[in-house]
Amino acid sequence: MVLISEMPAVGRGFIEGLKKYNFDNPSWANPKPSKDRRVSIVSTAAISKRGDKPFSWLANNHRVIEKNNLDLVMTHVAVEYDRTAWQQDLNSILPIDRLEEMAEQGEIGSVSNEHYSFIGSSDPIKMERSAQEVADRMKKDAVDTVFLVPV
Amino acid sequence: MLAHFFESYGFSTVLVGFVKEHIQAIKPPRALWLNFPMGRPLGKPNDPEYQKNIIRSAFNLFNSSSGPILEDFPDIIPVRNGRMGYALPVELVMKKNEIGDVDIILKEVEKEIQGLKQAYENAVAYRGRTTVGASEMSIAEFAPYIVSFLKGDIPKSPRKGLGAIPQLKLVVEDLQAYYTETVTHRDGIDDFEKIGSWFWEETKAGRLILALEAVSLESENRVLRQIVDMSLITPRFWSEGPLPGSSGSGW
Repeated sequence: MVLISEMPAVGRGFIEGLKKYNFDNPSWANPKPSKDRRVSIVSTAAISKRGDKPFSWLANNHRVIEKNNLDLVMTHVAVEYDRTAWQQDLNSILPIDRLEEMAEQGEIGSVSNEHYSFIGSSDPIKMERSAQEVADRMKKDAVDTVFLVPV
Repeated sequence: MLAHFFESYGFSTVLVGFVKEHIQAIKPPRALWLNFPMGRPLGKPNDPEYQKNIIRSAFNLFNSSSGPILEDFPDIIPVRNGRMGYALPVELVMKKNEIGDVDIILKEVEKEIQGLKQAYENAVAYRGRTTVGASEMSIAEFAPYIVSFLKGDIPKSPRKGLGAIPQLKLVVEDLQAYYTETVTHRDGIDDFEKIGSWFWEETKAGRLILALEAVSLESENRVLRQIVDMSLITPRFWSEGPLPGSSGSGW
């Protein structure tokens, strides 16, 4: 178990900096029944299609991952987390195949045509504009459920 | 935070996360805490049932009528000494005057890369994909590009819109991915501590990057010094202490 107090200052400062924001009155969207859900993944692993612009350290924009083009690379600045799992199996960080299998089995309704990637080292407050753009795309794709997956 | 944004736009969200205190602080509507190493949010590569168990546990939180709700995934994937990824031993430091002849180093690394070529290609063929290529340089170009920094040059970046040093970081990660993709398949291992030890403590490529670290630390280029200081080239984030000679500001 990782404790913030045991992290080096680099990570500790970043995470503790988020405490300045107020989360006391969060929004709440009632979920659809599971068989009707259309799910999209939002990753903060800084993955993108080969040839996309690499993420910069403090990037607050996103990349679009189409489900029919999963030739992806990772341009995250941090090196403190394991990358060998995703090298072996994309589903280790972007479980598209698992969601498709669950849709085939009727555990969820369907899987979106697109998924989205941000870089987790950036201040998420500054991602709001990009998150709105992602939300607009997801609405066009009839997505109602978001699975957020960090690294 | 992204969970709050998307929830406010009308989407039902659930997240998985590694740092429980962080989740407790930001209070996302629904969250599943994973007592796992960072980088493995679905737990185990090539284990579809384990991965689906995590997704099912996360999606079960949609049954809750109110939040924020935070539950623990019951299984634990242990880590060594509380560290969440491989960390270079503090004593594994190369000094600039220990680097030696960089042309010899280049030849040794190129020979090592060539020696792994068939196994790498086998891994790519087996998986149907590779993660090598973020730098958009060919594998043969990785070592010469890094060596140019060892010689004190800041070469022109081959990519429009990306500086030489951000490109260097991608090249370093591509070089490492070439090795680790190869060894995980060739040797059938999935222990990132062993993989890290092998790459950083045994290979010529690992020593090349340690030499780059040594040169960067004494460089007049502020960005080059900064990426070493922030542990963005070598895995010292979880090490017992900072790289000697760096500012130590990261610790």
